Amino acid sequence: MAHFHIQDLTFQYPNAAHPSLENVSLTVEKGEYVVLCGQSGSGKTTLLRHLKNVLMPYGKRSGSICFDGTPLEQVSQHDQAAKIGFVMQNPDDQIVTDKVWHELAFGLENLGTDPKTMRLRVAEMASYFGIQDWFHREVCNLSGGQKQLLNLASIMAMQPEVLILDEPTSQLDPIAASDFLNTVRKINIELGTTVIITEHRLEDIYHSADKVVVMDQGKVIACDTPRKVGQLLWLQGHEMFAALPTPVRVFYESQGAGDCPLTVREGRSWLTAAFEHHPIAVAEPAPEPAPEKPKAPALQVKEVWFRYEKESPDILRDLSFAVPAGSLFAIVGGNGSGKSTTLKTICGICKPYRGTVEVFGKPLKAYKPKELFQNGLAMLPQDPKSLFVKKTLREDLAEMSRDKEAVAAVAETCEITKLLDSHPYDLSGGEQQRAALAKVLLTKPKLLLLDEPTKGLDSFFKQKFARILRKLQEEGITIVMVSHDVEFCAEYADLVSMFFDGQIITTDTPHRFFGQNSFYTTAANRMSRCVFRNAVTAADVAALYRANLEGKP
Amino acid sequence: MRLSAFSGPRKGIFSFMRQDAFSKCHPLTNFVFFVGAIGFSVVFQHPLYLAASCAAGAVYLVLLNGKKSWKLIAGLVPVFFLLSALNPLFNSYGERVLFHVFGKPYTLEALFYGMAIAGIFVAMMLWFNCYSAVLTSDKFVCLFGSLIPALSLLLVMVLRMIPNLMRKARQISDARKSIGKGAGETDNFREKVADGMNILSSLTDWALEGSIVTADSMRARGYGGAKRTSFQIYRMTARDYLLLGFSILLAFIVMFAGGTEATYTPVLYIAPPGWGLAAYCLYLLIPSLLHGKEALQWRISISRI
Repeated sequence: MAHFHIQDLTFQYPNAAHPSLENVSLTVEKGEYVVLCGQSGSGKTTLLRHLKNVLMPYGKRSGSICFDGTPLEQVSQHDQAAKIGFVMQNPDDQIVTDKVWHELAFGLENLGTDPKTMRLRVAEMASYFGIQDWFHREVCNLSGGQKQLLNLASIMAMQPEVLILDEPTSQLDPIAASDFLNTVRKINIELGTTVIITEHRLEDIYHSADKVVVMDQGKVIACDTPRKVGQLLWLQGHEMFAALPTPVRVFYESQGAGDCPLTVREGRSWLTAAFEHHPIAVAEPAPEPAPEKPKAPALQVKEVWFRYEKESPDILRDLSFAVPAGSLFAIVGGNGSGKSTTLKTICGICKPYRGTVEVFGKPLKAYKPKELFQNGLAMLPQDPKSLFVKKTLREDLAEMSRDKEAVAAVAETCEITKLLDSHPYDLSGGEQQRAALAKVLLTKPKLLLLDEPTKGLDSFFKQKFARILRKLQEEGITIVMVSHDVEFCAEYADLVSMFFDGQIITTDTPHRFFGQNSFYTTAANRMSRCVFRNAVTAADVAALYRANLEGKP
Repeated sequence: MRLSAFSGPRKGIFSFMRQDAFSKCHPLTNFVFFVGAIGFSVVFQHPLYLAASCAAGAVYLVLLNGKKSWKLIAGLVPVFFLLSALNPLFNSYGERVLFHVFGKPYTLEALFYGMAIAGIFVAMMLWFNCYSAVLTSDKFVCLFGSLIPALSLLLVMVLRMIPNLMRKARQISDARKSIGKGAGETDNFREKVADGMNILSSLTDWALEGSIVTADSMRARGYGGAKRTSFQIYRMTARDYLLLGFSILLAFIVMFAGGTEATYTPVLYIAPPGWGLAAYCLYLLIPSLLHGKEALQWRISISRI
């Protein structure tokens, strides 16, 4: 019997012009691992929320949803709460109580579980998820990854049969995200729990899915095994193709022969096999033009030391680097290594106790208040929401500049003209990011600092964002970006720096930088390094593949 | 999500690692003891009883918080003298007049009475500080959770929200600083107020937005359905019952042994202390003795190794 059976589900929000879900039919078998993907606003979340009565949105609905053969509305609330687990996007807001142990028990308390069983279940879950060490902690002292793991554990304590996850890792850094996704995979394999998950970052989960469902404008446009879905999206020339894992993209873009690889390992074998009896004529992408003679740096950081408190360890230790004017300078590095602190130091929120920061050749200390942020420097914070303080976007932008034409021009650049009258919180993540950027740009900065700008964005929005950055660069704005998103940096940055242990270890062009690294590099590079050199993007690898096998560039 | 550099594990989370035997007893045992200690300190105006309460409170506070507590204790000394000296200015009952202030008699009885009141104040300060170190919020919720379940959950959620809001407020103010809109960027008072209002309104929006998600998360986990049970992380052990019984017994002895009477004005009368005072001292020293016993045990077991 199917676990979930959705038949002809159509749903329309009140006052919406189009239905958010249109004739969706879907069957999820017991124990399946289903990956649901689609662009932002394609109806993924709306669909997931229909799988649990208490979360169902209000609106016009037709069609049927059956859980274990029973129509969902006839399944008691108690059973739904226990059997259908739901993990949401925001790790913070989902947590109800202040202590880790209490949060783990919260669901069980609601179900009226007797104390003895509850103790056992909580102990079991804490051990399974490795929570024992922080069992007595306050929730507010946990990291984002720990919080999301706690959310998962507190739902697993109710022993659900189905686990539904709505973009669970969009707020996490890549390492925490892949830990989290591995745990979900482990639950699926070891406990046989059915998993339905939506994700932007498909690289980690695509290959292990039993079924991939692709949604577009409220419709299911593909529902099949990962390989077949890849093929289908390629043949349709669908925008979602850009979101697929690198090996799949390389395979189709290079018109390769054989079976489509899904993981880096499969990609390597596929490339090795293809070039086994074939000489490699072109081994690396066309060399980047030699750097022009260095321009005056827009930003220069000299031997900066910083720590938050007198007794705490140094966050920045002898940090020095220079950013050439007009470039897109990316800083990559592990979590908590001090990248965000670097940005805060540059804009004067954190004051170094040794060393200097020079912006446009003038030390930070020499700037008068306000002067620095007028036609000078501006930072886009990690969470764009922290910039919005008004009821509509238009008012928010008006706060920065009274010049209506300037506002209109910036809105045009950031592609948010249509959104100006909405409440900032009603926008999607990608739209919020661009709206926040618009607000920042109204200070007319010459040096723009971006803190994790691609966090939680889908591939489509990332491309849009990159386009905007390019446009800004053409206008002569220097951009410094701190990011975990290796793929994004490889594709769009001019210079990439590795941040480690409070300082910058090395700076180079993306090809040389990622070409040298063997772990901290793009999937395309990891998969192709066995045959090519310095190929860092899917496009690089595909071009080299074709150049070698077909003899044309 | 790394919202800010402060979102990682904070310094000081290990402060609870200071081992105290009494803190590890069941919240009920803790609570009953503190009700007694604080209650007796308020009721008994007998100087020896007050002195005992202050001394025992100070000892236990030092055992609990270490160096940190010396600051508080040192601060309470001048407060004690100030309060004592002030009382006769407002209260001129009593026989033995020391001198006149603004034409009003400043009497010895009133001065003693002031000292008693100041003693009560000091004892309360000390014991409440011990109370907050021992009976943390989760213990409080554990005690009253079964009596008033909805209220205790509310309390827990508020406790969760406060650090969250603080962090978000800092985040917003940092974000505004980095686009040149920070409160520190202007000397204009009106702009400063306006900026504060902006942050407040944004914070409210943020909290409301978050509370929708929290409500969803609660309902999704079956809140509001069946009768709630509550998870007890603490268990009454034999030692807890023993301690509880012992402290109640001592409390009864203190109450019925007498010798606690003291009046200051208009006539000074202080009852001669008896067995009651000994019982009282023992009562107040329960947590400290427990602490000392455990510390000694460790000393001995270490020396054996």
